[in-house]
Amino acid sequence: MIAEYYDEKKDHDVIFIGDCEVYENFTPALLWEEYGINSYIRGSAQQLIWQSYYLLEDTLRYETPDVVVFNILSMKYNEPQKEAYNRMSIDGMRWSMSKVKNIQASMLSSENFLDYVFPILRYHSRITELTADDFKYLFYRDKVSFNGYYMRVDVKPALNVPEGRPLADYRFGETAYEYLDKITALCKEKGVELILIKAPSLYPYWYDEWEEQMEEYAKANGLRYINFLELTEECGLDFMTDTYDAGLHLNLSGAQKVTHWFGRYLAEECGLVSRRGEEELERAWEEKLASYYAEIKRQKEQE
Amino acid sequence: MRKKYLILFGTVACTAAMLFAGCGGKENEGENGQPTPTTAAEQNGNKTNTGEKGYLFKYNGVTVGIDMEAAPIIEALGEADSYYEAPSCAFEGMDKMYTYGSFEVDTYEQNGKDYISSVVFKDDMIATPEGVSLFMKKEDVTKAYGDTYTEEHGMLIYEKDGMKLKFLIEDDEVKLIEYATTALDVQ
Repeated sequence: MIAEYYDEKKDHDVIFIGDCEVYENFTPALLWEEYGINSYIRGSAQQLIWQSYYLLEDTLRYETPDVVVFNILSMKYNEPQKEAYNRMSIDGMRWSMSKVKNIQASMLSSENFLDYVFPILRYHSRITELTADDFKYLFYRDKVSFNGYYMRVDVKPALNVPEGRPLADYRFGETAYEYLDKITALCKEKGVELILIKAPSLYPYWYDEWEEQMEEYAKANGLRYINFLELTEECGLDFMTDTYDAGLHLNLSGAQKVTHWFGRYLAEECGLVSRRGEEELERAWEEKLASYYAEIKRQKEQE
Repeated sequence: MRKKYLILFGTVACTAAMLFAGCGGKENEGENGQPTPTTAAEQNGNKTNTGEKGYLFKYNGVTVGIDMEAAPIIEALGEADSYYEAPSCAFEGMDKMYTYGSFEVDTYEQNGKDYISSVVFKDDMIATPEGVSLFMKKEDVTKAYGDTYTEEHGMLIYEKDGMKLKFLIEDDEVKLIEYATTALDVQ
């Protein structure tokens, strides 16, 4: 998903960065259709905050959006977690100093920098099992997202969602804060409005103590902060129908509701102006929307 | 143009050389070429065990041990009051949570099988086999388990055979009792 961004014409109004809580909960297609806002999600599974920072740094080499939206769930992680997740955030990046620094910040002690330079080293024991498909995907992969949005239309109601267990320490870590400061500073330096959000995912549990820290941070740094968990009713979310995995991520129906609310916020509160009517952009979106709706139809037929 | 071909040839030659030299890389790879979820126990040097190790939790004659295969334990415990499963963002299987009134049993998936990742007490109707319940005092914990523990922000952690037994103490009261795997810890 990270690599798909480089095929884009880079003049987005809004860039989302963060973990699966952004790429499954907001749909840029609807932001365009309803509000004429051109957006892209640079999201990846369990994207850690330093990965978000370096992806933002990478993105701002190409363009300067009006707004950057960052989902703050990753504040809970203060250290790298798993190589597989690192790969999902890093492998798709084009080579730059941002990628190099991202690798250095993300590597577990069991990993080697060279494995990122030559991924084939990491997987060499499969060499005798490689198929034509492996070589095909080495050079070409079908797009899996719609401007970074990963679509699911199926439904699995959110039942028996576990509550959070007591934690020994609710404070976010120093590294997490260090990179949140860097994201804030980079946006200020580039004249981009940073909006912090907590997506409306019910699990993993979002503690009140975490919420307080984020509210304080936003206030101290003059940032907008939106906790969508507190807006589920206002957005019209119904967790019996609007999630495909019992509350972790929204399905298309849920993502449309949240995006509809957020689009209005971006237009009315942040002053983003509709770009409908821009010929080249209209043409690009016409093509994207055709494949977006074809995918909706395909998934609904499979249900 | 000639320079481009030379660079391309050089890259292909280097890659081929590294491939056939055996590379010295790691061996844990999944079907899709991503590193496998065996990250967990095996990379930690704690081979997933099917026997009873570490501190054990017992309930109605059923022994629940961390990293033990979950299926026979879940079956023996009977129908759970509630069940929740959470797919990983990266599609590396499901984490499952079974709640049985006074306690919760969680599992993690590895190579297609579920293993016990944690047992968490929900109320003080149950106790550990060593006699500690929620809301007891710190002294009760150390009397039962000894003084060989590490303490992090009020959490007393007893380690045994690659698993952890944790007691969160607040205001001299046990607020959390958790048996936990170390197989999922960051390396």
